[in-house]
Amino acid sequence: MISINNLTKKFGKTLAVDHVSLQIPPGEIFGFIGPNGAGKTTTIRMMAGLLYPSEGTVHICGIDMIQNPVQAKQRIGLVPDRPYLYEKLTGMEFLRFMGDMYQVNSADFTQKARDMLTQFSLLDRANELIEAYSHGMKQRLIMCAALIHDPDVIIVDEPMVGLDPRGIKMVRELFRLLAGDGRTVFMSTHTLKLAQEICDRIGIIHQGKLIATGTLSELEDQASMSGSDLESIFFQLTEPV
Amino acid sequence: MMDIAILLKPRWWAIANRRLNKRHTVQMLVLSSVGLVFWIVGYAISLRVLTHFQKAQDIGDLLAFKLLSIILITVFSLMIFSTILTSLSKLYLSRDLLLAHALPVPADHLFFARWIESTIDSAWMVILFTLPILLAYGRIYSAGPFYYVNMILVLSALCIIASAISALVVQASVWLAPASRLQSLFVILGFAAFIVLYIAFRLSRPERLVDPETFSSVLYYMEHLRAPSSRFLPSAWCYQSLRDALLSRPTGAMLNTGMAWSFAIFLTCINLLAAGPLYFKGYSRSQTASFTIFQTRDPLMNRLFAKHHSPFRGLFIKEVLCFFRDQTQWSQLFLIGALIIIYVYNYSVLPLEKAPIQTAYLQNLLSFLNMALAGFVLTAVTARFAFPAVSSEGPAFWIIRSSPASIKSYLWIKFFIYLLPMFILAEILIVATNLMLNVTPWMMALSVITIALLTPAILAMGIGLGAAYPDFNLENPAQAVTSFGGMTFMMLSSAVIGAVVILEAGPVYRLFMAGIRKLTLSPLQKIWLTCSFTLVVLICVMTVILSMRYGIQKLENRY
Repeated sequence: MISINNLTKKFGKTLAVDHVSLQIPPGEIFGFIGPNGAGKTTTIRMMAGLLYPSEGTVHICGIDMIQNPVQAKQRIGLVPDRPYLYEKLTGMEFLRFMGDMYQVNSADFTQKARDMLTQFSLLDRANELIEAYSHGMKQRLIMCAALIHDPDVIIVDEPMVGLDPRGIKMVRELFRLLAGDGRTVFMSTHTLKLAQEICDRIGIIHQGKLIATGTLSELEDQASMSGSDLESIFFQLTEPV
Repeated sequence: MMDIAILLKPRWWAIANRRLNKRHTVQMLVLSSVGLVFWIVGYAISLRVLTHFQKAQDIGDLLAFKLLSIILITVFSLMIFSTILTSLSKLYLSRDLLLAHALPVPADHLFFARWIESTIDSAWMVILFTLPILLAYGRIYSAGPFYYVNMILVLSALCIIASAISALVVQASVWLAPASRLQSLFVILGFAAFIVLYIAFRLSRPERLVDPETFSSVLYYMEHLRAPSSRFLPSAWCYQSLRDALLSRPTGAMLNTGMAWSFAIFLTCINLLAAGPLYFKGYSRSQTASFTIFQTRDPLMNRLFAKHHSPFRGLFIKEVLCFFRDQTQWSQLFLIGALIIIYVYNYSVLPLEKAPIQTAYLQNLLSFLNMALAGFVLTAVTARFAFPAVSSEGPAFWIIRSSPASIKSYLWIKFFIYLLPMFILAEILIVATNLMLNVTPWMMALSVITIALLTPAILAMGIGLGAAYPDFNLENPAQAVTSFGGMTFMMLSSAVIGAVVILEAGPVYRLFMAGIRKLTLSPLQKIWLTCSFTLVVLICVMTVILSMRYGIQKLENRY
């Protein structure tokens, strides 16, 4: 579902992402962790078509992001780390806008939007301007918008930032539901406990390089730390030399 | 006072840290050259006008000083309007205020630091472009060094007074108006500016100054020129000071400069006293959700193309809703409306019958020039609304980038969204002014067709260059036009308008003269006519294609 080969990004002389390769099948929740400035957001931006790679390719459901960005983007639902939205639209209007951009069937739209807003506890605030929303509400609205067109791949950068405990629980269950439905969830996070809890596999990126990938037990082997939790493995692998 | 200096440091560090790569150096050089050209042209025109005035016996000085008085009052009004907008933004709306208010600094010190920034930001350009005029005065009146030192002191005092008055108005308005209506203040200001501008313009009846016949006697005319503006206006003190300095009366000049400075210091103290109890409370109020004048639950637009969900529909509805819900746009609309009314009004009061040239010829000549002027008005409107169209996406531009719509279709959709209102505006301008000029039908047709060709060309340049030089971090996207891209757009747009007018001028003149003399055009003249108009069409079409292509390429390669 997601195929990344030798993905590289240079900003001038800085090598932000260094030949990263990954294959993520349908129905998998993949956790992407790493210290600040490791290259997580840059990788996500290249995957979502927000940034051109200096080298390498990204395929979403077999579609090349560089060659066919429009078709590839149609299959993605993106939740960025910072909820920048059109503040002068209402929540419902923003969803309608996203529905238009992704050409969601108009017959289904209204019911679908109401269901999503209900699921994310936003229905009673749907006709208010987004500028009046809290950070967490904006984050929930972006999640609604990312799912409105039934994407095959969901790419999420820091999903839990700004969410209250109820929201975190709901998102955790939603990701499991989506994966169960055959969608791929690619999630970057600093919440190691969450990654350990819900991810099928985890990738650790450090200084632009993907230094470890696998299930928790595979990561234990790679770090030579059997019986350890993800936090200990993470510190061991990303320890400054 | 140390904390005020510390608060001002980040701004200067940011300027000092600005890395000048090759591209930025070129941009800076181009911008500086354009500024220098404007400066020199301003100086040359001022010298010429003042020299012309000096030739008029007895009233030469009167005219020169009347002009100086008008310039200073205009500068003062512009400064007040500009500083109201800047200080409102600097003191209450800036994103970094959240951090600034968390610092262990008294509110009045924070206010003072922000006010200093606001004053410098809004004053530098006004001072820069007033200087060539005042320097020309100095040269004409062979002024000594005292005049030039006094000039700097007087201009600085005027800027501080204008900024202090604005800060007081803003502090009071934010305190008085419910915080949720803070943004609506812009609407009120825009509307007030429109009314003041219009009334001031009409009451001054500027056309009478160049037409002494409208005065019953020479004495009355001279009295009118001598009439001082109100003694209580700070611009009047500055005027008196500059006038005395030019006429080598240093005591009078120093007295008036002293008055201006003492008032500036007095207003600054009042501001600081008011800021203690008022500033932070006003800022807190501004943190609540803003108020929106027009908010519909099920807007009519959502029913547009209701059955067909497409990026065009989505972007169209988003653009219109965001535009009309943003009150800062409204104030700009009012101002542009005022300028257009004044523009059209000027044509209605043109004394064509008094001109020594044949009226029909003059009417058509003016109509021809009017095409160019309407083109410049369109350039200004495009610069304000269409050029920032891409920058106005702000940090939310990720939504467009990640959506399954190509940059190409995104930019063309933007183009078509703005095309209809721009087209209607351009045609109204041209038809209304031509009707007032009572031009011939073929001149009317030529104007309507030419402006119909120029409108998409100017708009495409605005959208294309706006996409090529976007700034998604601007707090106010309208500022995008003051960037390198904005300057380039205005220069290129003027060049295209100039090319179209020059290409049409020759053949139109021949055609017109042939009509008057009842002659037919020679075959060579017909070929010339056809080639010129074909070139005009080609220039406009190519401008649309090339500008849009340039914008698409640059925006795509940005990432």
